Amino acid sequence: MSSASKASRLGEEIWKTRIEKVNAELVVLTYGTIVAQICKDFENDYAEVNKQLDRMGYNIGLRLIEDYLAKSNTMRRCSNFRETAEMIAKVGFKIFLNVTPTITNWTGDNKQFSLVFDENPLADFVELPDDGRAQDQLWFSNILCGVLRGALEMVQMQVETHFISDVLRGHDTTEMRVTLVRYIDDELPPEDD
Amino acid sequence: MSYYFAIIGTQDNPLFEYEFGTSKQGGDGMARFTEQARQLNQFIIHSSLDIVEEVQWTNGQMYLKLVDRFFTSYISCFLTASNIKFLLLHQPPSSSTLTGGTSRTSTSIAANPTSPQTEEAIRNFFAEVYENYVKAIMSPFYRTNMEIRSPVFRARVAAAGRKYL
Amino acid sequence: MSNHLPAGAGSGGGGGRAGDSGLRYPSNGKTIYHRPLNRTKTAELSKAAFAYLFAEMVSYAQRRVTGIQELEKRLNLQGHPIGLKLLDLLLFREPPRTQLRPLNIIALLHFIKINVWTHLFGRQADRLEKSSNPDTPDEFMIIDNEPLVNAYISVPKEMSQLNCAAFAAGIIEGVCDGAGFPARVTAHTVGDTGEGGEMWPGRTVFLVKFQPEVLEREALIGAKS
Repeated sequence: MSSASKASRLGEEIWKTRIEKVNAELVVLTYGTIVAQICKDFENDYAEVNKQLDRMGYNIGLRLIEDYLAKSNTMRRCSNFRETAEMIAKVGFKIFLNVTPTITNWTGDNKQFSLVFDENPLADFVELPDDGRAQDQLWFSNILCGVLRGALEMVQMQVETHFISDVLRGHDTTEMRVTLVRYIDDELPPEDD
Repeated sequence: MSYYFAIIGTQDNPLFEYEFGTSKQGGDGMARFTEQARQLNQFIIHSSLDIVEEVQWTNGQMYLKLVDRFFTSYISCFLTASNIKFLLLHQPPSSSTLTGGTSRTSTSIAANPTSPQTEEAIRNFFAEVYENYVKAIMSPFYRTNMEIRSPVFRARVAAAGRKYL
Repeated sequence: MSNHLPAGAGSGGGGGRAGDSGLRYPSNGKTIYHRPLNRTKTAELSKAAFAYLFAEMVSYAQRRVTGIQELEKRLNLQGHPIGLKLLDLLLFREPPRTQLRPLNIIALLHFIKINVWTHLFGRQADRLEKSSNPDTPDEFMIIDNEPLVNAYISVPKEMSQLNCAAFAAGIIEGVCDGAGFPARVTAHTVGDTGEGGEMWPGRTVFLVKFQPEVLEREALIGAKS
C-alpha cells in the first residue's frame, strides 16, 4: 500500500474514532471574530494582520504536534519529506479540520510542494472587506501557515510556508506553498544557509 | 408593476436599495417610476417605518405582508430576526402605461398588489432575499447597519425579483 | 430621507453589475452566496481546533489589556458579533411554523438556552432563572453547569478571577441586542453552594441584565394583550 493511501486511511480512522468533535460553525465563527478583531486592532494594516495570524498559528503548532503524535500513534519519523506531506494533508488536516488538501506541484528536489484546499472551513461565511486592499493584502487563513511551521519545527523540520492564492481574493483555488528549509539536527550545531 | 426594494437598518438608515420591474407576463424587468415617483418612493418607505414599529412587538412573524399604502404605492414588509426591515414598494402600472394583459389583471402578480398570489410571490421574494442577507451578514467583516455593497448580493436580489415578481 | 445612499446605488433594471464595488470573485463561483446556508449546519470539527483557537484568542487579548476586567470585557466584545450573526442564522433555519422573532424576554431566553446553546455546545443550557430579588426584576440567569469554553483554559493562579465564559456571555449579549432586548451579560463562576454544587466546580451563571426600556416595553405589551 502506498504511503498516500495508508495516510488517508489512518486519517479517516482517527477522525472517526479518536477525535472529540464540536459544531464546525462554533470554530468558524470564533476564527472569524479573531481575524476581525486583529484587523480592527491594527487598523486594517493587513501585512501586520498576516503576521499576527501566523504567530498565533505558530504557537498553536508548537502545542498541537504532541496531540497529533499521540492521536496518530506515529512516533516514527517520516522517512522523507514526501511522506511528511502525506501525513500533514491526510492525517494532520483531517483530524483537526476534517479536510484533506491535495498535495501537488512538487519541485524536482522534493523540497517544495503545494497544499490545495478544495474546502477551507475557516473561510466559510467570509467575504473580504471591500476596501480596495484586503483582497490584495490579507491572507485570511494565514494562521494555518503558522500552525504548520510550528508543528514541523517540533519534529526537527524547519519549513517556510505561505499562501499563494485564495478563493477569497477571487482566485480559483486556495493554495499554500510549503518549503523544507532544513532538517534541524539535535546532534549538530545549526548550519548557516 | 414597478418595484422599489430597500433594506433599512436599526437606525432607519438604508443598507441596500434596488429598483426593478416585473418580469411576469412579458415584463422586461425594468422599473417604470417617473423621476418624481422615484424621489417619492424613498419618502414613502421612510414613513411606513413608523407603522412597522407599531406591529414589530405584537406580531412575531417575519413576513408582515402589506403594512402601508400611499395612493397607488403598496408597501410590504419583512422583519429579520435582528429587526432589520426589508421593505418592498410595489406600484401597479398606471392605465396610460399599460402595455398588455389589462383584461385579466385581477389576480396577476404583475398588476394586482393585493391578491393572495401577489402576497405569496412577495413572501417568496423576501425569503430568498433573507437567505442571501444572512449570508452577507455572516461574514466576520460585516457589522450591524453596514451598507451591503456586495455585487453578488445585488445580483441575487435581482434574480429573486425576476423569479418571483 | 437625508441619510440616503449615493445616487445610482439603487438603480439598474435587473442587472447584477459590480457597481462601485472592487471585489473580485472566483470564476468557479466559490463564494458564500453560492453555497447553501445549511451546508455546515451539522458539520463537525475537532474540539481541539476550537480549544487552540480559543486559547490563542485569550492570550492575544491578554497582551492588549491591563487587567482581568478588561480582558473579560474584550472576550465579551469578541463574542458579541457571533451572537448577532447566530440570531439570524438560527432563526433562518427554523421551519416556517416556528420561525418567529422573540417578542418577550422569556421567548428570547428560551431561544438562547435551547437553540443557541444546542447549536454551539451540543446541548441545552442547564437552567433559566429569574432574579428572586424584587429590586432587580431586570435580571435573569442562564445557568451552565460546565461551559465548554472553560474546559480548555487552565487559568493561571494569579488570574483565578478570570472567567473565559465571558466569551459566551458576549454571544448571549449579541443575541439580546440583535433581537431588540439590549442587555449587559456577565459570566460568574458560582461556588459549591447548594445541593449538587460540588459536582460542578465550573458551574457558571450568565447574568442577563436588561435595559430599563426592555422591561417598560414588556409591561406595555403585556397590558395590551
